[in-house]
Amino acid sequence: MALPDYDSINEGYELPKFTKEAIPKVQLVKYAGASGDFNQIHTVEEYAKQAGLDGIIVHGMLVMGILGQMISTWAGIKNITKYSVNFKAITKPGDTLTAKGTVSRKYQDEKGKFADCKLQVEDQKGEVKVTGKCTVKFE
Amino acid sequence: MLDMSYEGKEFDSFTYEVERCKIKELCKAIGDNNPIFFDKEEAKKNGYNDIPAPLTFGTVMNFWGYPEIWDRMKEIGVNIQRLLHASEEYEYLKTIYPGDIITGKVMVEGMRSSSMMEVVTFRSTYTRKNETVLIARMKIVIMTGEQ
Repeated sequence: MALPDYDSINEGYELPKFTKEAIPKVQLVKYAGASGDFNQIHTVEEYAKQAGLDGIIVHGMLVMGILGQMISTWAGIKNITKYSVNFKAITKPGDTLTAKGTVSRKYQDEKGKFADCKLQVEDQKGEVKVTGKCTVKFE
Repeated sequence: MLDMSYEGKEFDSFTYEVERCKIKELCKAIGDNNPIFFDKEEAKKNGYNDIPAPLTFGTVMNFWGYPEIWDRMKEIGVNIQRLLHASEEYEYLKTIYPGDIITGKVMVEGMRSSSMMEVVTFRSTYTRKNETVLIARMKIVIMTGEQ
């Protein structure tokens, strides 16, 4: 996939969305090791329950990583200048996440041509887990 | 309870060498199979010098480069078991590649406290040979109301 031409996109343009497979528990173990975030609320059921949760919960940064996969597949790592998210709801193992976004603003200034995008991750019930924003620079 | 005297303070800087396998491992854990993260030739075909670090690689540099962050949080009065990640923000200035020696520095950018919750914002700045490559901002919330 390649970033489309600046002139071919408009405000409201939809980024190619995708849906991941349901998150298995072992993915949280892999993500803990990869990221170095060993907070046990993500991997140890007893600890998560002691912390007042129903059970282990997915790392927020894994959800941000999945949304990041969607935007970098579309725009390319080197074209993304900013990326931020707000965490809205807890994601649990077994949830099926869909990442999507739209172009909210396009503009040109002395630094180049840019598009700001509005982003979102939701689960199989349509609950919003993460909202986000990114800025893409066009060559 | 937060010790508000930490607001604006910088912690010790740390060094992190970007390892090829950590890039691959993070992408695998996310489930991102884009070949540019796994194959140097594929990355070059797409205009990169080598496999690039993915967008959330800052979290790896933070936790593996500065695992002391957990102790620092306790030191400033964060109740780790009650901690929620509220937001994360990245500003990308340069692409990060394997072999890069990155210097990281974390500061407590903001602290707020009310009867219901405490909020702390950390700002991490990552530099390579005195050039800033990445700025990350993490906001955490600690619910204190019902205790």
